[in-house]
Amino acid sequence: MTMARSELRRRVVRAGLLAAVAIVYLCLVGMVQAFSTRNIVGGNLPLSRILLLLPSAVAASLAVRPRVRGGVTMELNMGEAAGAGASIGLIAGAAVAVGIGIVNLIGQEAVRGVFNAVTSALLLTLTLQRSTVVGTAILVALSTATGALFALAGVLAPRLRRPIVTGLTVVLLMGMLQSVVRVMLVQLGLATQWLYSVTFGGLTYLGAVASFAAGMAGARLWALRREAAAADAAERAEAGGRPRIPRAMLLVPVGFVLLALPALLGTFLSAVLGQVGIFVLMGLGLNIVVGYAGLLDLGYVAFFAVGAYATGVLTAAVNSGSSLHPGLPFLLAVPIVVLIAVAAGLLIGGPVLRLRGDYLAIVTLGFGEIARVLVTSDWLKSFLGGAQGLIAIPAPTMSVGGLHIDFRNPQPFYYLALGFCLLAAFVSWRLANSRVGRAWNAMREDEQVAEAMGVSTVRYKLLAFACGAAIGSLGGALFAVQIGSLAPSSFVFFISIQSLAIIILGGMGSIPGVIVGALVLVGLPGFLTEFAEYQPLIYGAVLVAIMLYRPEGLIPNVRRTRELHEEEVEQDAWLEGVPEPAPSMTLGEAVE
Amino acid sequence: MTPLLEIAGLTKRFGGLAALDGLDLAVAEGEIVSVIGPNGAGKTTLFNTMTGLYGPDQGDVRFEGQSVVGLKPNQITRLGISRTFQTVHLFPNMTVLENAMVGQHCRGRAGLVSSVLRLPAQRNEEERIRDRARDCLSFFGGRLSGYRHDQPAFTLSYANRRRLEISRALATEPKLLLLDEPTAGMNPKETLELTDQIWRLRKDRDLTILVIEHDMRVVKGVSDRVVALDYGKKIAEGTYEEVAHNERVIEAYLGRKAAAG
Repeated sequence: MTMARSELRRRVVRAGLLAAVAIVYLCLVGMVQAFSTRNIVGGNLPLSRILLLLPSAVAASLAVRPRVRGGVTMELNMGEAAGAGASIGLIAGAAVAVGIGIVNLIGQEAVRGVFNAVTSALLLTLTLQRSTVVGTAILVALSTATGALFALAGVLAPRLRRPIVTGLTVVLLMGMLQSVVRVMLVQLGLATQWLYSVTFGGLTYLGAVASFAAGMAGARLWALRREAAAADAAERAEAGGRPRIPRAMLLVPVGFVLLALPALLGTFLSAVLGQVGIFVLMGLGLNIVVGYAGLLDLGYVAFFAVGAYATGVLTAAVNSGSSLHPGLPFLLAVPIVVLIAVAAGLLIGGPVLRLRGDYLAIVTLGFGEIARVLVTSDWLKSFLGGAQGLIAIPAPTMSVGGLHIDFRNPQPFYYLALGFCLLAAFVSWRLANSRVGRAWNAMREDEQVAEAMGVSTVRYKLLAFACGAAIGSLGGALFAVQIGSLAPSSFVFFISIQSLAIIILGGMGSIPGVIVGALVLVGLPGFLTEFAEYQPLIYGAVLVAIMLYRPEGLIPNVRRTRELHEEEVEQDAWLEGVPEPAPSMTLGEAVE
Repeated sequence: MTPLLEIAGLTKRFGGLAALDGLDLAVAEGEIVSVIGPNGAGKTTLFNTMTGLYGPDQGDVRFEGQSVVGLKPNQITRLGISRTFQTVHLFPNMTVLENAMVGQHCRGRAGLVSSVLRLPAQRNEEERIRDRARDCLSFFGGRLSGYRHDQPAFTLSYANRRRLEISRALATEPKLLLLDEPTAGMNPKETLELTDQIWRLRKDRDLTILVIEHDMRVVKGVSDRVVALDYGKKIAEGTYEEVAHNERVIEAYLGRKAAAG
């Protein structure tokens, strides 16, 4: 059934205006201009232009999705979709044109008084380095075309759409991660000129086509594999056997890549990965508290601070600003740090045992702030250095056959972080699939009933806080090693938010999700320095988008998905009219 | 011989309202006792007080001669009292099998360290938990077995949710089972089936059962003894026939007969 005209018109106008607001906003905060030097493909497609067209593309492809109204699915045919998409793009483009007009009318200087990102450089970027009128016209035309194209993609069957979207994503990622990929290829002794343009830095046209094709092929293969796996699983369920290739085998190549990465990436990028490692630990720890046990902790930075400061005090040998400097070796200090963190976890867990949900979140938020105030305080100044913080925290060192390894250097540090992350992931994974994990899960679903079924909620809440604190403190310990000095200003609320954002993006309760979340939210701004300035903005946008369109996260935990789509599953079952299966009789009953 | 369960002078007040008012009740081992009474008579409050969800204001609950007043719900479950809820309370996003496995929680010991290292003792225990959970689910024949094991609980039909609640309660390996309106929302056929199954619970699993029920056919079908409550007090006790024809019970349900004339 086609959609009523008025309904379609409303949707188009709404999507167009939203895209327009997004574009104007991105221009005004300076993001567009900041990205204008990063070429993605050739010399004519910098990230700034993609950013200008992205809102129209997203709005158009979302606006034409089929909807269900009054029990009937309304779909657009190709022509209608293209028209709708073009209108959306036109509205968005026109908004920018109006903006350019207004700026020219009032004068740049006047506008810059309020929006200091409005520079002549920005205007040149918007008009594609041409004269105002011609450039604006081209921009509007491009926006319109983008809207139409992406709307068409939006009404394609998922079988066709997915490979295209994946291909485009791969091109974008290859272009954005040009520095990373190029360095890796060079280290491997492979030619890069065909893939990346020497003059512009981005992908060559050949490289873009190759990336697109690779992405499409990958998506197709993945779909085929999933179909095969589903068939295989059905077969296996009947046979009662195990998968043909043990999944552990798949870990071998992954392990090789993980071990080889620092050699391939060089110093700077290894340092970024080390940073990612710290946040993988934070994510894994918080994942136990929030993802497994369902205790929303907004003060997780407290455990990060405990880990970092405990490491600092315990390993410092010379005067670091603390009156204590026992100078323990790092590996000896780590178990003590973990113990201290467990104590801190119990200390924070104790008072909040009776709180749930929002109340718990608020109180833990307070604890996070208390941690920051304590490390700054004069009271603990002689131990923790007060506002000056701690300095001269030594890096752990190791000598292997005359080779001296300093773990503050990014490449050895990466291995240290990798080791900690693997340990934490292993512990999380084992716990999730055990009696302890089941108890946490039951508690997350219904605390009172879990208690009535014999789960001691006091015990398991404390256990969750202790485990979360232990893993988070490892992140803090690494941080202390990496930086070598600690300042109270490093332990702010934003760290808690960052950790939470990582697990929300990746998927609550999902270990691979945490890793992907940390790579995206910590790694990407590290690899792409122009992103760093807009980190909080990107966090906000990513969180809103994830919550609206994929609340279970990028790599969801099975159970979470069920929870968030419970209604849909029930609806589907109802629509399909699945009858309650007749009670099947066991053999014994039949004989009786 | 001391009765399995002995309740003496149990009182629970909510503000000015006495939901339980000096209730005495004794249940011998192997008995099936029904608790009936109009809405608000204090039946569910009785269960909640017995299982530690509420602390009583006065009186004592003794299980196998030991007072359970002041214990936490999980401790009482471990002692051997398990229950179902009037409004179904499953763990909706866990699978059917996992729900039953949570019931086995209090019969396990594996903690943090043995779970992480997956020690032999932990593996054996996990297998045992799984087996017993399967066994408890198989009590209802094919309804909760086979492919159903891996279905999330929220996909179950209403009657099956009730059955899963009973299975989960069985998985805690109780001596005394408290069923709070087990047939509410079931159709007549399912109700009849469950009546039989309550008998079988006692026969096969040596359980003592205390059941709150509104459906008089079920009460008649299962009870050794019936206790009627009204305003938190026991107003009648005896066989089904005695209680069903007791004048005070009829009054409590239907109101006092209009004064003569």
